Amino acid sequence: MPDLDFRAAVTRARPAAQPAAEPAEAVATREVNFYYGSRQVLFDITLTAPEREILALIGPSGCGKSTFLRTLNRMNDTIPNTRLTGVVRVEGEDIYAPGADPIALRRRVGLIFQRSNPFPFSIRDNVAYGLKVNGLAKRKADRDAAVERSLQLAGLWDEVKDRLDTPAHALSGGQQQRLCIARALAIEPRILLMDEPASALDPIATSRIEELALELKTRYTIIIVTHNLQQAARISDRTAFFLSGRLVETAPTQQLFTNPGRKETEDYLTGRFG
Amino acid sequence: MAAASASTFVPPRQRRRLRRRLTDGLGWTVSTVAFLLLGAATISIFWAIAARGAHALHLAIFTQVTQGTAGGLLNAIEGTLLLAVGGLLLAIPPGMAAGIFLAEFGASRFAPVLRFMSDVLVGLPSIVVGYFVYIVAVVDLGWGFSALAGAIALAIISLPYITRTSEMAFRQVPADMRDAARALGATDGHVILRICLPIAASSVLTGVLLALAISVGETAPLLYTAGWSNYTWNGHLTHEPVGYLTYAIWAFITEPFQSAHALAYAAALLVSAFVLVISIASRMLMAASRRHSR
Repeated sequence: MPDLDFRAAVTRARPAAQPAAEPAEAVATREVNFYYGSRQVLFDITLTAPEREILALIGPSGCGKSTFLRTLNRMNDTIPNTRLTGVVRVEGEDIYAPGADPIALRRRVGLIFQRSNPFPFSIRDNVAYGLKVNGLAKRKADRDAAVERSLQLAGLWDEVKDRLDTPAHALSGGQQQRLCIARALAIEPRILLMDEPASALDPIATSRIEELALELKTRYTIIIVTHNLQQAARISDRTAFFLSGRLVETAPTQQLFTNPGRKETEDYLTGRFG
Repeated sequence: MAAASASTFVPPRQRRRLRRRLTDGLGWTVSTVAFLLLGAATISIFWAIAARGAHALHLAIFTQVTQGTAGGLLNAIEGTLLLAVGGLLLAIPPGMAAGIFLAEFGASRFAPVLRFMSDVLVGLPSIVVGYFVYIVAVVDLGWGFSALAGAIALAIISLPYITRTSEMAFRQVPADMRDAARALGATDGHVILRICLPIAASSVLTGVLLALAISVGETAPLLYTAGWSNYTWNGHLTHEPVGYLTYAIWAFITEPFQSAHALAYAAALLVSAFVLVISIASRMLMAASRRHSR
């Protein structure tokens, strides 16, 4: 029997009723295998992320969940000697098809990193960077509006609106991470990938990020990698459990935490390993 | 034997402490001596140059051109700046491009070859570079002793320094900055020019200043390429020799005239002061960029 705490967290986080109809798929993978050189790190991952839901990827360190996350916006392309087989569809489009453009893909699929990584520019320039790169909002007024909107979405506007031109590194760790979220939101992605976005933050900053994820869910599809099981239970709609590069099980979060279908999942959730 | 050793017995812990203090003292002595030697050499050189140079440094040095072995050094000051800055302008584009290539595409098969050639260039005697430019530019192309030939010789000498510091500067850009930019849909070119370049700029500039200091102090590659002129530069890139400070040192110190010696001392002081100022500037720049990156 899994720990009762998870059930409590799930019930707290879910006051609304479940949607009746099955929502559209934002991301769908089929039999994805991934290799670093000759070492295979992902085995036949078939997984779907429904639109405007939060999908949590959990599992012990080195289970491949971050690698999987990065196959979804082709960030692994930047690592030499890697290879992928299988199909990854983002909003129905095969993103590894010959001729598919990883640059255009990354505009649609934002990524938030484990450690906040603002550029050594001002707060404003950080948020505006994606716009400039993609040739969006060329007029200054449009750009300023996009910067404000993104910072508001990221819940940072009120804290920084009077000092948009100060260096981003002057912000606290939690603020920096929300700035990175604002930066990703500025180019209006459809899907937001988060790679343990709160693992380096204190509990208060972490809860801000979690609240933010829940708010953003109404507009974006979110796929979040997390080590923190409570966090997955608190915020996600579906949870996928990875172990040694394989997807053990994926289920609605409440079900996975209270009544896991597989022995490995139960062992992991009850802390018998990992 | 047993009795003797018993009488001089030192407990192991104390013996260890004694040994530690000895090595500590030895280390400090060696460092202090090294520091004093280095400091003494630097200070005595600058003292000798300053003592003689200050004597020779008149306002006329800066306002008049050289007349034979007398007059001022205006032509040489101007020529030194012209050659050094010209050399940098020629060396910065290819040097930075090579450095960026090595840093960003270091896995390429071409990279080790480029790095090796750059290393060879550092070790090449500067007089050989002068000789090479003399053959190619001064004689074969028929430019004669000229500003352009001198600047090219200095550019060849600066090139590997600029390449190496650019490579280091770009390598030091944290990987998560590149990842962040790529995740926002930046192309390789955009990552290099809009993210890495601003972050690496101050380190690159440090390398450029180092190259400038080296160029200002070079003599051998200019002897064959720039020639010497008593007049200020007339704007011609070729077919017109230019003067420069190190020539004044090299040529005038062996002349049997007081006025020539004075010019040589003044030139030596000016070159040294210039190099010192550049070194201090690059130090300050490095310290500032370190503070900035915190």
